[in-house]
Amino acid sequence: MIARATPGWAERLQRLWAPGDGPSSAAPPIDAPGSIELRGVTKVYRTHAGDHVVLDRIDARFDQTESVGILGRNGAGKSTLLRILGGAEQPDAGRVLRHGRVSWPIGFSGGFNGSLSGEENCRFVARIYAADIDYVVEYARAFAEIGEYFRMPVRTYSSGMRARLAFGLSMAIDFDVYLVDEVTAVGDSSFQEKCVRAFAERRERSSVIIVSHQLGTIRKYCDKCAILRRGRLELFDDIDEAAKSYEAMS
Amino acid sequence: MSSLLRGALVQLRVVHALALRETRTRFGAHRLGYLWALLEPLLWIGTFWGFFAIAHRQAPDGMDVVPFLATGIIPYSMAMQTAEKGSQAINGNKALLFYPHVHTLDLILARGALEVATLTVVLLVITGGWALFTEGFVLDDALRVATGLGLAGLFGMALGLVLCAAGVMTNSVDRIRGPLFRPLFWISGLFFTANAIPTRVREIMLYNPILHCVEMVRDGWFPTYHARYADPGYVVLWIVGLAFVGLTLERKVRSKVQLT
Repeated sequence: MIARATPGWAERLQRLWAPGDGPSSAAPPIDAPGSIELRGVTKVYRTHAGDHVVLDRIDARFDQTESVGILGRNGAGKSTLLRILGGAEQPDAGRVLRHGRVSWPIGFSGGFNGSLSGEENCRFVARIYAADIDYVVEYARAFAEIGEYFRMPVRTYSSGMRARLAFGLSMAIDFDVYLVDEVTAVGDSSFQEKCVRAFAERRERSSVIIVSHQLGTIRKYCDKCAILRRGRLELFDDIDEAAKSYEAMS
Repeated sequence: MSSLLRGALVQLRVVHALALRETRTRFGAHRLGYLWALLEPLLWIGTFWGFFAIAHRQAPDGMDVVPFLATGIIPYSMAMQTAEKGSQAINGNKALLFYPHVHTLDLILARGALEVATLTVVLLVITGGWALFTEGFVLDDALRVATGLGLAGLFGMALGLVLCAAGVMTNSVDRIRGPLFRPLFWISGLFFTANAIPTRVREIMLYNPILHCVEMVRDGWFPTYHARYADPGYVVLWIVGLAFVGLTLERKVRSKVQLT
C-alpha cells in the first residue's frame, strides 16, 4: 500500500472549516482589556517573483495601557502587521489573541466611502461599533475642524482633511487598543498638538500601538519600541536602545 | 451571553449598518434614485406588454397581463440582480473590509436584503397601481408569494457569494457571467408558464430553479393559476448547495483579498 503524501479533499475541506479568527474575535472585552498577543504569526505574500515572507513567526505581547511604537523601513511589513493585529487580515499561520476592543488601523483615509458625506461615514462607523451615534458625529465634527465639508462627499476632501476626519472619528469611539498607521503627516502643528493631547488622555485607559518609519514620531507618543525587520519583531524596553539599533541599520 | 449569540448580534448590527449605507450609495447618487428602481422593471413590463399586444397574445389561465409580467420579472430580478450585486460586493466595498468585523458575507447579506426589500416594494407598487385601473387588487395566497420571492432572493445571495469568492481567484468570472446567465431571462418563465409548454421541453426547463420561484409566486398570486410543477424543496437544495460551495470558497480566498 502506498502512503498518500498530499491530504485528500475531505481533509483539506475539514481544515478549511476549522474554527479560526472569526468575527467574534473583534467582540467586546473578556478579560484584561487592552492586550494583544501574537503567537507564531506568519504572513506570506505570493508574487510572480516567488513567495515573499513579510512576517516570520512573530511572538509578541502588547499589554494593557502600554504605548508601543513599531519602527520599520518602508515595505518592512508594518501596515500588514497592523492589519493583522486589528483582524482585517488573517495570518497564514499562527494566532492573534485579542482582549478588548481593538480599533481599525487609523491612518490616512481607509474605510471611508467617497460618495457619502463625512457625517454619513461617521454614522456608519458608530453603528457598526454600537456607539452613541450623535456623540460620535458631534465629537468627530468638532475634532476634525473641516467646517462645511463635514456634510459633503468625502471624495471632495483633500488627503489632509480625510486624515483629520479619520483621526477624529477613531478618537470618538472608545477602544481598548488603538492601532495607528503613520500619524506624522496629519495636519498642521496645532492639529498635531490636539492629537498628542487626545492620545495622552486615552493612554490612561487604553493602549496604543503606532507604526512608523520615523523615530521622532515614536519618541513623541510611545514609551516602548520595537523594530520590524526581515520579518522579525524585536522588542526594546528603552527607546534610546532601539534608536541605536535602528540607526545602525542604515 | 454565549459567544455565538454575541457574534450573531455583532453581525446583525453590521448588516443593518451596511444595508442603511448601501441604501444611500445605491439610491442617493441621483436625484431620481428611488424612482429608477421602479422605472426599470416598469420599462421591461411596458416593452413586453407591447409585444403581447402586437402578437394579440393573452396571459394564460385567466391571468391579467401586467400582473402576469410583473410576477415573472420581479422574482427573476430578485435572483439575478441580487446575484450580480453580491458578486461585486468585494470590489465595490474594499474600503469596508478595513473594519475587522465587516466580512464579505455581511456585504452580500446587506446588499441582498436591500434588493429583496426594494423589489418587493416595486412589485406591490406596480400591481397596486394597475389595480387602480382595473377591477381591483387580487392576491390569493400571500405566504406562497413570499416563499417564492424569499427563495429567489436567497438563491441570488448564495449564487452571488460563489461568484464573489470565485472573482477573488480569477478575473474571468466577470466575463463568463453574461453568457452564462443572460439566457436565463428567456427560460425562467417570464413570458410563459410551466404548465403551458411541451412535456419534453418542460422536463429540461425545470432544472432551472428560478422557473420554480416564478411559478410559486404566480401560484400564490392568481386564484386561477395552479402551478403543478413548482417544487420549493428543489430550490432549497440549490440554495444549500451553492451556500456550501460559496462559504467554502470564501474561507479559502479570505486571506487573498488585498486591501490596499
